[in-house]
Amino acid sequence: MGLPLTIKGIEMISAKLFFITILVVIFSTNILAQETETKKKEFSISGTAGVNYEYYGLSRKPTGWTGFTARKPWNQVRFNFTPTMQFGENFSLPINFNFAMKPTNFVGPYSGIKKQSFGQFITNPMNNFGLNPKYKWAELQLGTQYLNYSELSTGDIGVFGVGFDLRPRSYFFKFFSGLSQQGINYFNGPPTIYGAYKKKNWMFSLGKAREGKYEMALNFVKAKDDTNSVVTRPLTIKPQEGFTMSFAGKAVFKGGFYVHAEGAQSFYSKNLLLPEDTSRQSFKPFIKANTSTVKDYAADFGIGRKSRNFDIGAKLKYIGAGFQTPGYPFMLPDRVDYTLNTRFNAWKDSTGNYKMNVVASVGQRVNNVSNTTLKAKQFIGNLNWFTQFNEHWNLNVSYNNFGFETPSGINPYGIKNVSNDFGVNPSYTWSNDKVIHLASFNYNYSKYNERDVITGITTSNNTHTALLTYVPTFLTKNISPDFSLMYFINSVPGFKLNLVTFSCGAGMQAMKKKMNLRSQLQFNYSKTNSFKNNNNLVASLTCDWKVSKKLTWNNFVSSNQFKYGNEIIPNNASYFETNFRTGFQYRFGK
Amino acid sequence: MKKIFLIASICFASHFCIAQFNTTLVVNSNPMGSLLNWGIKDLTYIISSSAGAGGKALIKATLKTTDGTIAATTNLARARVIAINPAAGNVILYAADVIPLESISFNGKFKTSMDRSGKLPSGSYQLCVQLVAPATFQPLSEERCRTFNIAAFQLPIPMMPANETVLDIERAKTTITFRWTPVAPRPAEMLTYRVTVFEVLENQTPMQALRSNQPLLAKDIIGTTQYIWQPQLGLTICSSCSGNTDGDNKMKKDSSNIAKPDMDPEIDAYAFIWTIQTLDSRGTPFGDGNINSDGISEPNVFFIDRRSMEMRKSGQPSRVGNLNSARKLKPGMELIFPPFNKN
Repeated sequence: MGLPLTIKGIEMISAKLFFITILVVIFSTNILAQETETKKKEFSISGTAGVNYEYYGLSRKPTGWTGFTARKPWNQVRFNFTPTMQFGENFSLPINFNFAMKPTNFVGPYSGIKKQSFGQFITNPMNNFGLNPKYKWAELQLGTQYLNYSELSTGDIGVFGVGFDLRPRSYFFKFFSGLSQQGINYFNGPPTIYGAYKKKNWMFSLGKAREGKYEMALNFVKAKDDTNSVVTRPLTIKPQEGFTMSFAGKAVFKGGFYVHAEGAQSFYSKNLLLPEDTSRQSFKPFIKANTSTVKDYAADFGIGRKSRNFDIGAKLKYIGAGFQTPGYPFMLPDRVDYTLNTRFNAWKDSTGNYKMNVVASVGQRVNNVSNTTLKAKQFIGNLNWFTQFNEHWNLNVSYNNFGFETPSGINPYGIKNVSNDFGVNPSYTWSNDKVIHLASFNYNYSKYNERDVITGITTSNNTHTALLTYVPTFLTKNISPDFSLMYFINSVPGFKLNLVTFSCGAGMQAMKKKMNLRSQLQFNYSKTNSFKNNNNLVASLTCDWKVSKKLTWNNFVSSNQFKYGNEIIPNNASYFETNFRTGFQYRFGK
Repeated sequence: MKKIFLIASICFASHFCIAQFNTTLVVNSNPMGSLLNWGIKDLTYIISSSAGAGGKALIKATLKTTDGTIAATTNLARARVIAINPAAGNVILYAADVIPLESISFNGKFKTSMDRSGKLPSGSYQLCVQLVAPATFQPLSEERCRTFNIAAFQLPIPMMPANETVLDIERAKTTITFRWTPVAPRPAEMLTYRVTVFEVLENQTPMQALRSNQPLLAKDIIGTTQYIWQPQLGLTICSSCSGNTDGDNKMKKDSSNIAKPDMDPEIDAYAFIWTIQTLDSRGTPFGDGNINSDGISEPNVFFIDRRSMEMRKSGQPSRVGNLNSARKLKPGMELIFPPFNKN
């Protein structure tokens, strides 16, 4: 019992020492900055610093009703300090400190935690404490880093530690090591804390790149849980170890043609508490296999051409059933995706600008690739077609489709879901000496079919949305209002939702254009089946005041009153939300 | 007559030996493919002593397909010894004791599948379990067999709004429709899909927002794969945002504006990340061996364009695709593909 505490104590001291070191570095670089500024006049600084306070309030009626839950912390203070100091031509010091006082984690290892230790605070994904001093081609990476080596190795997870990024000539060498999460004890609750093992991460990349021509890299990523990092072990999470290596490359050719590809292999032990297994393939010294270790592959390939008026590209991605990488913990395995994308401009006007723009993509995803009998196919297609006919009229047409289907049988039938969305949006602009008028109409039809796998009956879920917007822009007045009216109807057999929204807003400038004000009022009327209607009123006000050339004071206040009819019990229940944000932002530099 | 007596004696003796322990085997008819995740509800093996005598035994398990192909057997040389003490009552064992991966030998394609994914190939199987003596491997109980179907379940995929979709604020401030694919193949139990939406705050990556923020929406949906959300967030147009101010959650838009081709590509938008968490009928996370064990699907990011309508009408309205990374690039944050060497 004593030993882990001792180790914990040492880690705490190490973390404090690290912070003191960081403060010393900042302090010393500030002094250096002043000296440099006075002597060489080559010091510059950019970036921002600020503090932000947010209040959230919720009251519900009748008392004791819990049908609507709070969706923000009651009080939260957030700090950001992100200057980049440049000392002469060769040395720069970017700083990235962003942190909040109250943990609000809902997903991931810190979920449910209320009181965090110092180590948990600095590794909590809601906080960043990063320093990246750089001298010529050598960059030191300290503190929190979100390093993205490639799409199949690492990218989503922040790690608190130490590393470097060296780029001599056309080569690069990167290394980083640290903690992505601290150990958290399981607690039955309430509230339940699921707990987590302390996870140590290592990543390394070496490669060669030439700007605008090619780049290739060999990436290695490893993460390992510390099985002794918790006193009460998590019930649902096992300590894990993962190692992934990948080779990624891309090249750009004349005419805008490009190609990129990556191949990766992963070794992943899903439970470190199980014994070593020599019959399974290890990759020593990086990972020793045990009875839970799996090994699989992934690949990513893209080819295409980009130009000012015409893009075309094809992508292919394969993720094996057992491919897992610590850098992308939510990656969906066992799938193949292939897509074809295009974008082009057409129909030139007299000035040489194009009037028409089309963006389209089509593709398919196959899930459960490793199981021939369970393969599920998804078709995905999107089209957006924009045309500006003249200075008055423009039209946008969009169509989105996806379908999901599993092999069919009879009771149970195969899953079959098909979604179709079609939208048309004409806009008309006209003006006189005082006002520019903009009227826009948007109609969208959405149909979503779901087959019941037991009965085989397909349910059709239909949605119609009509939206009318009018925006007058006064050329001689300091006010810019807007008005919109929306009608929405969603129906499935046995259910019908009608919704009408009226919204109006106005923006203006004050105090010699140093203050921007924006207010908005939105009223929603909704009615489900034959129940009594629900009423909802949302009001908001934004006030951004440029106190000085470098200091801005941002304020936002909103309220949301929702009153149910009799569709829920208790009847006539209501809730009232308030949200207030205020914050100062200071901009460094000129 | 002597022969008959001898045969009867042998039968009695063998019956007595086999019946030394009474056993019961219960196997879920539709367990997950990942054997490592089999728990109490998937396999239970109960041992009781028929003659009141205790002893030690090994568990011999044989996994077969319905056509008789042996997928896996217990390597008895590596099997754990089970101590049975009648005074202590029945011995209740679960998957980790009956088919421990460290003492099970898989064959052929089953071994390949287990080595690659930790899962058995989908299909119908029969599991037979019997107690045997540690040294002689003589049967100590009758063989109990149960059949079951393995299906490799895949978590839902968030489909709408698709990843990096840009929505117009006029519609999105009233309703946003979420759609996702169901768990496939459909499990026997009723699942709950929890739709969660997180706001991506300034200086956050979308994944940071997912892992650290309180959700704006956490709604449990049963029986369908669509939810219409009324955000009620007071989302406002940013009338002062000209495209290069330091507003909230800027994103890069890589679209060439056909009316004004040289327009600043940076626009202001609210950014959100959404996903589906799947829960089983007991409210615990559902997942077939995913590393997080939280039933959370790969998330999507979407934006609500908060530029004024005049500004948006000079370009394309909300649509899918053609966006750069949603990440705010601060020190310590890198693009998916690092930029070319600038040295």
